[in-house]
Amino acid sequence: MSQSRIDPELRKEFDAAMRRTLKQRLDYSFIHTHKPVMDEAPWRSFETTAAYRKWCAENLPSWLGYA
Amino acid sequence: MPEPRAFSFRLGEELAAAFAKHRVEYLFIGKAGAIFYGFPDTTQDADVFPLKSPDNGRHIAAALRELGFSVDERLEAELIRGKDFVQVREGPFDVDLIFAPDGIETFEGAKQRSTLVDGRFPVASLDDIIKSKKAANRAKDRESLPRLEAFLQYLREKPDVSST
Repeated sequence: MSQSRIDPELRKEFDAAMRRTLKQRLDYSFIHTHKPVMDEAPWRSFETTAAYRKWCAENLPSWLGYA
Repeated sequence: MPEPRAFSFRLGEELAAAFAKHRVEYLFIGKAGAIFYGFPDTTQDADVFPLKSPDNGRHIAAALRELGFSVDERLEAELIRGKDFVQVREGPFDVDLIFAPDGIETFEGAKQRSTLVDGRFPVASLDDIIKSKKAANRAKDRESLPRLEAFLQYLREKPDVSST
C-alpha cells in the first residue's frame, strides 16, 4: 500500500474534524466580520463572474484576498 | 435592517427548508460547501450555486423573503433576468448567489456529482469545489487550496468516514 501524502499533523486535524457533528461543523466554522466596501450595500449583482472579479480587484482592499 | 449574523446550523436548516418549500434548485459551494463535508476551516459567507433560470430566480426571491432578506423589486428582477453573481447583504446572514462559478460547466453536471448531506443539504462535490477555486485563482483561494486538496485526499483514503 502506498504511503499517504497527507501531513500527519493535518491528518490528526481532519480526524478530529470528522468526529464533530454536522451541527458543530457549521456552528464553529462560520464567522461574521464586516468587510469594508463589500458589505456596504444591501445587494449587488454582476452580469458575469468576470465582471464581479474585476469589481473586486478595483474596489476591495487587497488584504481581503478577493483579487 | 436586521443585524447580520454568522451562518450557523440553525440558519442552514432554515435555508434548506425555505429553498425546499419554494423548490429552489441549488447547491452549497465554496468553502461553505467543504465545511458540510467536515473540512476544518472558517469562512464568512454562505456560498450558494443556484440554477440560472427565470423560474428559479422567482423561487429564490420568494425563499429569501421568507428567510427575512429584504428583496426589493429591482433585486427580484435581477434574479429573474439572470445574473452570474448576486451578493445579498440585507438579511439574517450574508449570502452569495453564484450562478456561474468559475471552472464548472453546468449546474446539471454539478448536481449529478453533488451529495445530499444529512438528507437535506445539497452540496457540490469536493472535486467541483476545488476545481472552482483553482479556476478563480484569488489570493484567498490559493491560500486554502493545499488544505482542501489534502482533505480530498484524506476522504479518498478513508471511504468509511461519514459526511453527515
